[in-house]
Amino acid sequence: LRRQRVELSVELRKAKKDEQILKRRNISLHSEENPPLGEDRADVMIIQPSLEKIVEAVNGDDTQLQLLATQVTRKILSRHKDPPIDQIIELGIIPRLVEFLGRADNAALQFEAAWALTNIASGTSEHTKAVVDGGAIPAFISLLSSPHMHISEQSVWALGNIAGDCPHYRDALIARDVIPPLLALVSPITPVGFLRNITWALSNLCRNKNPCPPLDAVQKILPVLIFLLQHEDKAVISDSCWAVSYLTDGCNDRIQVVVETGILPRLVELMDSPEFTVMTPALRAIGNVVTGTDQQTQEAIDAGALTVLPRLLRHTKPVIQKEAAWTLSNIAAGPSQQIQQIITSGLLPPLVELLDKGDFKAQKEAVWVVANFTTGGTVEQVLELVRSGVLRPLLNLLLAKDSKTILIILDTISSLFLAAEKLGETEKLCLLVEELDGLEKIEDLQNHENDMVYRAALNIIEKYFSGEENIDLEPQTGQGGLYDFSVEKQDFNF
Amino acid sequence: TAVASLQALFQCDHVQYTLVPVAGWQELETAFLEHKDQFKYFVLINCGANVDLLEILQPEEDTLFFVCDSHRPINVVNVYNDTQIKLLVKQDDDLDVPAYDDIFRDEEDEEEESEDESDGSEPSEKRRRFEEEVIERTMKRRQRREWEARRREILFDYEQYEYHGTSSAMVMFDLAWIMSKDLNDMLWWAIVGLTDQWVQDKITQMKYVTDIGILQRHVSRHNHRNEDEENSLSIDCMRIAFEYDLRLALYQHWSLYESLCNTSYTSASLKLWSVQGQKRLQEFLADMGLPLKQVKQKFNSMDMSLKENLREMIEESANKFGMKDLRVQTFSIHFGFKNKFSASDIVYATTSLMENIEKEGPETTNFIKALDSLSRGNLDKLHQGLDLAKKQLRAIQQTVASCICTNLVISQGPFLYCSLMEGTPDVKLFSKPVSLCLLSKYLLKSFVCSTKNKRCKLLPLVMAAPMDVEQGTVIMVGIPPETESSDKKNFFGRAFEKAAESTNSRTLHNHFEMSIIELKTEDRSKFLDALISLLH
Repeated sequence: LRRQRVELSVELRKAKKDEQILKRRNISLHSEENPPLGEDRADVMIIQPSLEKIVEAVNGDDTQLQLLATQVTRKILSRHKDPPIDQIIELGIIPRLVEFLGRADNAALQFEAAWALTNIASGTSEHTKAVVDGGAIPAFISLLSSPHMHISEQSVWALGNIAGDCPHYRDALIARDVIPPLLALVSPITPVGFLRNITWALSNLCRNKNPCPPLDAVQKILPVLIFLLQHEDKAVISDSCWAVSYLTDGCNDRIQVVVETGILPRLVELMDSPEFTVMTPALRAIGNVVTGTDQQTQEAIDAGALTVLPRLLRHTKPVIQKEAAWTLSNIAAGPSQQIQQIITSGLLPPLVELLDKGDFKAQKEAVWVVANFTTGGTVEQVLELVRSGVLRPLLNLLLAKDSKTILIILDTISSLFLAAEKLGETEKLCLLVEELDGLEKIEDLQNHENDMVYRAALNIIEKYFSGEENIDLEPQTGQGGLYDFSVEKQDFNF
Repeated sequence: TAVASLQALFQCDHVQYTLVPVAGWQELETAFLEHKDQFKYFVLINCGANVDLLEILQPEEDTLFFVCDSHRPINVVNVYNDTQIKLLVKQDDDLDVPAYDDIFRDEEDEEEESEDESDGSEPSEKRRRFEEEVIERTMKRRQRREWEARRREILFDYEQYEYHGTSSAMVMFDLAWIMSKDLNDMLWWAIVGLTDQWVQDKITQMKYVTDIGILQRHVSRHNHRNEDEENSLSIDCMRIAFEYDLRLALYQHWSLYESLCNTSYTSASLKLWSVQGQKRLQEFLADMGLPLKQVKQKFNSMDMSLKENLREMIEESANKFGMKDLRVQTFSIHFGFKNKFSASDIVYATTSLMENIEKEGPETTNFIKALDSLSRGNLDKLHQGLDLAKKQLRAIQQTVASCICTNLVISQGPFLYCSLMEGTPDVKLFSKPVSLCLLSKYLLKSFVCSTKNKRCKLLPLVMAAPMDVEQGTVIMVGIPPETESSDKKNFFGRAFEKAAESTNSRTLHNHFEMSIIELKTEDRSKFLDALISLLH
């Protein structure tokens, strides 16, 4: 039972909130910043700081005034506090600014216009649309090859904003062949700040689904991403990882494309990075890969994913715990050989710990791990799971408020009983559940408001705890001693 | 004395309270832990101002502290916390607190620094380019470094010296006065509080005279009407009077001779520890024309005729012997006809009761007794205190004499040092902070009079005495130099802290006075070495 990420909408909401926080912070911090327009230029006095004058100068023929007006516009749009993007768009000067992008004879004007348009495109979808409709895409793409590095960098930035808006613009850029000149900017001598911009723009070209980016585009970008993943700058690595995580967030064919590049070992290595900003997207990418086929999952295991996961399950940040458990749950959904690898990699103890003391969201994922494990594991493997002490925290979680989680746990308990039946150890499991106050909890669940919970609880009670009349379930001592469910050291005679 | 005033105020308003005497930081912490669940309001008297209270006590958010404490400098966090800490400070006290913006930064600013340490969330889809982002950020960082360096400097300057502000008892009286609840008793306690600061040499002469002036106005406001009604004075009536009295400790309850011998001012000026000094005393008495027999008997029993012009006579002769400041401005109190005490009598008596080394029950008994001795109905306790005080002054005088005669005061370069050995007579008395401080002040005064070394006259003194023999600890105090223009500011608090830090000495800064420290006896020499090199 492999599960795609369900909490995407939550994540997005969170990202939005972060952005708002960022915005708010800037406002309070930079209140002092409301400089008289172009205060550093004496000749600016010619231009009154009124928007009408800007329009006049931008549309006029005096190149000196065009430059000054564009610069003033750029400065207004660059201030931290409430940039008046709407007002600038209403001036109708975007087509003119796009035109300035083409003034190869006037690098200063090109640069100021590029910066101003970048900041307009950084706003809402409406704002980005205004820039695209002004014809900026081809102009920026050709500026990627500008002889002036600061201009091509500014163009990368603007194109990144356009690509990040929606899949439609992303594909429009790709259709205009943005990729070759963009990739050409990556070289061993590219300054790191520039490289960060490029990486981020590339990640936006890989970003978003419905539809995914065109396959041939992805195949062009991947080799460069692999190169960037080897970089020493953590921001470059982080954004490259995010790009890979976008590419693996899709159907198995897309996952296959990434797996075939042989990048998984590097991703696993980065998953173990001390840098939180690197670890998070690397884990996300690996987590996506193991939603794929058994073979793809095996590739991730072979790359060492299972050896890193114990540490991540014990990570101090709940987000990491949750992602790691989600990843593990998908591996546990695989064939029993992969479940065996989970056991041999020592993942059961951290799993039990997480189930016991982890963040609630992480606990829910851990419940999924146990559920998948018991469904797909052999009787011996399930026995091993019970021996590692999983039952106590699992039963405790029956007190959770979340019906879905409770249902999964009840399901899991039923599976455990099925395994116990096969071993003829039902009686012992009953005792153990009772000793751990599990029976009490299951009984209480018969009063649960959720009908399915009620029925599942009732089912277990009727089947296994309905008293002595159940003669079939007398302990079968035939195999007694051969299998012992008792938890190590804890002496639960199951 | 501030406590007594506050109690009277509480009584007046029927406020229920619990009084817990604490001798040091440790006791304060314990007392707070014991009471924090039960109480929301805490009044700290003569403690708490000079440390970060929220830091050391970790109170709940709804706990409120009112702090009335003369210890300076006030911790800056206490000054700028306006939700949980309320400081009772006289408006005209010059606090010189650094400006808020110089020492605190809002957290929002802090975040800016770690902007690129994002929380691992996805990169934003779109990014705006800000004005000269890089330059701006590096400038911010540089500004921040400069700000921090300046902050350290400002705080160092502010916290370097320990000193004392207006007596808490005076602040309490002011509070009562503002609420129109001031009583003559409270006024007297305010006087005692101020006099205590003077006796213990905590404030400058200037501050003393100013505060005396303030109190004098209140004294005449409270006591003038009694003058017309002298005949109607009842036995238990009390009257406070301003006086220009002799600076002789306890002389009205002692003999003049004993008082002359055991008052630091006279004994140091006459150098009574030497044979010549004793001779000088005889000459001084002869000059006044007082028969030795009269001088040595109880002051109360001296001939009335001799007492009449006594103050003027003594002052005149004292001038000849170089003692120009034998008379001081002070106040006295009359209970009915019979009992008269000067403010300093009360100070000596109460401090002796507080540091009584004869154990009579738990540690707090001393405090309660001292507190009781302040109220009119407890003359017997007051007399017990006077007896203890005489003992204490004699012990101090004898110890000073022996330290000087056996050259126990040694120059360590940046300061003088004197250490009392285990087994010295009365050494146990000096394991108590106030007694040890008094001894140090008297010793330094006498040493300055005895030495011919001009440089030594300008040095501060560090004094050590055994504290707890079983635990192997000593108590150490540092006092500022004994000069006429002394500002009474003490740098030993910080210096002790640094010296302990740099040598890993096992020290305990338990006293509210930062310049008093306890340390393990075996760590003493390395601690002193560090102190010497620190102050060089």
